[in-house]
Order: sequence, then structure tokens, then C-alpha cells
Amino acid sequence: MSGGSLPRRIVKETQRLIADPVAGISATPYADNLRYFAVAIEGPSDSCYEEGVFQLELFLPADYPMAPPKVRFLTKIYHPNVDKLGRICLDILKEKWSPALQIRTVLLSIQALMSAPNPDDPLDNTVADVWKNDEAKALETAREFTKNFAAKKE
Amino acid sequence: MQRTPAGETVIVPRNFKLLEELEGSEKGHGDMAISYGLVDPGDTFLREWNGGILGPPGTYHDGRFYELRITCTDNYPAEPPTVKFISKINMTCVDPRSGLVQHSRLSATKNWNRNLGIEQILTGLRREMCSDANRRLRQPAEGLTF
Repeated sequence: MSGGSLPRRIVKETQRLIADPVAGISATPYADNLRYFAVAIEGPSDSCYEEGVFQLELFLPADYPMAPPKVRFLTKIYHPNVDKLGRICLDILKEKWSPALQIRTVLLSIQALMSAPNPDDPLDNTVADVWKNDEAKALETAREFTKNFAAKKE
Repeated sequence: MQRTPAGETVIVPRNFKLLEELEGSEKGHGDMAISYGLVDPGDTFLREWNGGILGPPGTYHDGRFYELRITCTDNYPAEPPTVKFISKINMTCVDPRSGLVQHSRLSATKNWNRNLGIEQILTGLRREMCSDANRRLRQPAEGLTF
């Protein structure tokens, strides 16, 4: 249970995420921990993740927004910038973080990373090698993963 | 658990705490007296861990390497993980039939709180090997398992 008062900044961000959600993205705080969010991102159309819904989890550490949110994929995804545990290699989650960024901007950047994988800055070298040497095969595997692990539930 | 200047208690969720623990384990522990890592590097929910303890010098455990299996349930870290010795050992806090560590008999787990983790349990077990009750306890032949 989060005791005491949640910073106003987090309250505002949460309200806006719910009232004015980003297309294809939902982020819902857990009732027992308002710094912890269940996130779902729809695979961008025209990407190899199209038709999939990807579950993620996001946590705002005590020093947020001085420190970036922590976020990772829970759904298995075949992507050169995501490792086996779903951790994401994205500059704004590390050295390029700025307190002017928000949960919303982070989730939009992750969605953009799904549209434009970056095998030159890989987190998973095996996946990145396939991506660089045989892109068709990489895209096919990514589509297979999407079908097997990220299928929309009816 | 962390308290912000505004008096808010911040709870690190299970998965993010375990990811921190994993990153800590990958940095290693100076003398490598204890070690731990995921059984399956792709285990999304970070449940099953291998642990290792190097028997402390000056005891009957000296020179031995003990293998353990640590299981973090959904309730971790509200409750401590299940810890089981794979390597056969004779120790006051370990069930002699199953190798399970008895939480009530180890101070790290007896006084468990969510700021503790796998590292503190392994370190606590190694410290317990040096206690008066365990230091000179006769040990089974090396290499046996539970």
C-alpha cells in the first residue's frame, strides 16, 4: 500500500492518461500501488507486430521524475532492442531521460521503437544479427512471435 | 521500501525488485563467497533461481561449494522465497530429509521484510555455517544431493 501522498505530478499524469489516452496504448495504475501501471500497447499497423497486443509493466521509482520510469515487456516479443526478460534499450529510459518527459512520452517512444527496430543499438545480439543479415527472416519470426504470444483476446 | 521527503512510502513491485536483484547478482560479490542467477535467463516472472555458497574457512564447510534452489512465489517479497539445498548438508536450519531451509530457524528469513532479498538469505546462511551450532557439525560426504 502506498502510504502518504502521491506527488501531484504523478496524479496529474495518471488522470490525463485515463481521460485522454494515446491511441493504441492503455496504462492503468494498480489500486494497491499507484506508482505501478499495467500497460498494453497495440502493435503498430504496417509493422511485424500488427494485430498483437503487448502487455508491459511500468513503475515510477521514488525519485521520479528526476529518474526515468522503469518499464519492460511482459509479453514475449522478438525485437533487437528488447532482451529475453523484456527489458528495453531506449535512450530516454537511460542517459537521455529528462524530467520534462512523461509516462505518455515514454510509451509513445516504445510504440515508435516497435515501428522502427534499431538493430545497430541492440540489447539482444542474436536477434540483432538476424535483423541485419536476413531482415525478411527476422520479420517473419517477429510475426510468428506476435501470433503466438500477443494474440488479441476476443 | 523507500520514503520520499513528502512522507510517501514507495513500494517497489515484485518484478522490478527481482530485476534489481538480478542486476546486483550480475555485478558479482567481491570474493564470490555467494552467487545466484536465474535458472532460465528468459523466465519473465523471475521465479526460479540457482544459488551457490562457498563454505567458510575455519569450519567443517571449508572448501565445499553448496548448490541451492530458490523459488520466488507471487507473494515475494511480502514473504521470503522457498530456499532448498541441492547439495547435502547437515545444518540446524535445514530439514535433514528435504534440504529445505526452515524460515523460523534462520534470522534473515525469521525477521524477513521486503527490503531483504536473495543475497541476504545466502549471506545469512553462510554466516550461520560459522555459528557455534554449525561450525563443527559432522558433514555428509562431499558431492551428495538431497
